[in-house]
Amino acid sequence: MASAPRPERDLRLLAGCLPPYPPPPPTVGLLSMEQQETYLELYLDQCAAQDDLAPPRSPLFNPVVPYGMYILNASNPDTAFNSNPEVKETSGDFSSVDLSFLPDEVTQENKDQPVISSRHETEENSESQSPQSRLPSQDIGLGLNSSSLSNSHSQLHPGDTDSVQPSPEKPNSDSLSLAPITPMTPMTPVSECCGIVPQLQNIVSTVNLACKLDLKKIALHAKNAEYNPKRFAAVIMRIREPRTTALIFSSGKMVCTGAKSEEQSRLAARKYARVVQKLGFPARFLDFKIQNMVGSCDVRFPIRLEGLVLTHQQFSSYEPELFPGLIYRMVKPRIVLLIFVSGKVVLTGAKERSEIYEAFENIYPILKGFKKA
Amino acid sequence: MPFRGSAYIWVMRTSLSRLYNGNRKTSDSEWYSLGDARRPLHETAVLVEDVVHTQLINLLQQAAEVSQLRGARVITPEDLLFLMRKDKKKLRRLLKYMFIRDYKSKIVKGIDEDDLLEDKLSGSNNTNKRQKIAQDFLNSIDQTGELLAMFEDDEVDEVKQERMERAERQTRIMDSAQYAEFCESRQLSFSKKASKFRDWLDCSSMEIKPNVVAMEILAYLAYETVAQLVDLALLVRQDMVTKAGDPFSHAISATFIQYHNSAESTAACGVEAHSDAIQPCHIREAIRRYSHKIGPLSPFTNAYRRSGMAFLAC
Repeated sequence: MASAPRPERDLRLLAGCLPPYPPPPPTVGLLSMEQQETYLELYLDQCAAQDDLAPPRSPLFNPVVPYGMYILNASNPDTAFNSNPEVKETSGDFSSVDLSFLPDEVTQENKDQPVISSRHETEENSESQSPQSRLPSQDIGLGLNSSSLSNSHSQLHPGDTDSVQPSPEKPNSDSLSLAPITPMTPMTPVSECCGIVPQLQNIVSTVNLACKLDLKKIALHAKNAEYNPKRFAAVIMRIREPRTTALIFSSGKMVCTGAKSEEQSRLAARKYARVVQKLGFPARFLDFKIQNMVGSCDVRFPIRLEGLVLTHQQFSSYEPELFPGLIYRMVKPRIVLLIFVSGKVVLTGAKERSEIYEAFENIYPILKGFKKA
Repeated sequence: MPFRGSAYIWVMRTSLSRLYNGNRKTSDSEWYSLGDARRPLHETAVLVEDVVHTQLINLLQQAAEVSQLRGARVITPEDLLFLMRKDKKKLRRLLKYMFIRDYKSKIVKGIDEDDLLEDKLSGSNNTNKRQKIAQDFLNSIDQTGELLAMFEDDEVDEVKQERMERAERQTRIMDSAQYAEFCESRQLSFSKKASKFRDWLDCSSMEIKPNVVAMEILAYLAYETVAQLVDLALLVRQDMVTKAGDPFSHAISATFIQYHNSAESTAACGVEAHSDAIQPCHIREAIRRYSHKIGPLSPFTNAYRRSGMAFLAC
């Protein structure tokens, strides 16, 4: 593990992708009291720091997950690579962070099995494929507004030696907030929409396991798998936590659907990858990308769709005999909204959470104009 | 084409309700959503249902002839598109409908993971299938390039525009309960209960039957027929109101006045006729005017119209 910052980190700096204020501290229940306070302090320091710091410096801090945070499931025998004793003090019950090492119900937990952990994966990634494979995931991580855990794994190594202990300069920005309640825009905007925040309902993501798979073998050995080659050329696997479905193709590509947040989607994808690994395939975890996010919310008043379709003709189509909702194609951000008479709104087509929030903020004043008294 | 008016489909509701449950009470509320008065006339509903049924059967037979010419075993959407090739505006509306249908399935698929699975399982070429069918076919029959030009054409569809405006005007004055009812009835369509529609059409006596996409188009055409009928009937009704100082009142045709009088006499007989409901006489007059049998060129209209009734939908 190099102690100098990796080149990838510099690139992050250059990317200039500055997420605004970091997400609030991880939710209760995951942390002990001291940790909560520590994080709260760090978070507040972070906010203060961000006010003072010139923007280019901030990316250095944000996506990095302190090493301590990653080595959290101290109770888990699989995380045997945790060799840093100092860290253990600060690590607590963060088992929810990286559950891909926890036993899945579909396969037998083999404690003697060498740890094929994401650590190895990322090392392989950086050594064999070097910038190419890591950059995309990092860029995606940056794009994903730092509130997601998707960075945490790929960022581990650059981060580890530098951030052994959580310090004020290394805020734990994204990591543990599995489901941030507030949007990633700066503190105020939520109130513009009377506090209505769209909830994510479904996330579709893809990942490349980067090895050819024998679908028949997978289907035979995995419990929650179905494979019907005559109907469809992929294994359909499901896990219960997070409740998701995956389509695994023989090329090694995998689609994961059904998760309710970015972190859950990544987590689920890792679980599936783990299952495949345990079956003996040299599965890796490359190019994890969120393809589509669906959110929904309720404006709580009826909407007169006939008026909306008339005034926003270029963007809307409303054919009530075909579909009860109005289909609104927003240009910026590029999101499709399904608006119903009851006031329910479904937003889809987003690659990032912020797009959904932004789209809703854009549409809300328009909908208010067509409120059916 | 004499009366390219715009209006909306109230009658369809009633036809549909008769289709589904024959319950008079339900049909009233459905009529309402379509654009007629709150209490539509039963007679009008029956008449329109008859008209739509006849027209669809005729259309189906013509389509069957076309597919026989091709030597096909099923009636495909291409046959219906072929029949509609003469009227560009209506064809464009149909194409737009097909594209919206494709687009909607694409979106809904992305929302629900079960739908996504279903789609994957049913075969990979489902996206934009209707659009592909239409494009391929029009490509093959287009000699002058004007049909293909329709795909890029972004002109406003006046008929559709007027329908939207009418609906907007109507809904503006409704309260939320009325509006909810209105919306519910607008969602009715012939395509929702495809099997019942199929039975109603009674294709069993035909040798060649339409396939799934063709059935969708037929359902849409039935809807359009009703829409056109209502549009025209509303126009006719508007004409009937003699306005003081109207310079053209002397030019209203004799047959029209005859219809008008007969309507009045039925009213005098005590038939419950609400003043703002569409009457059967309006419908009949609308069809008459549409039928090309009037006007200076009527003796020369082509044999395509031999069935005696002009197709309202194409």
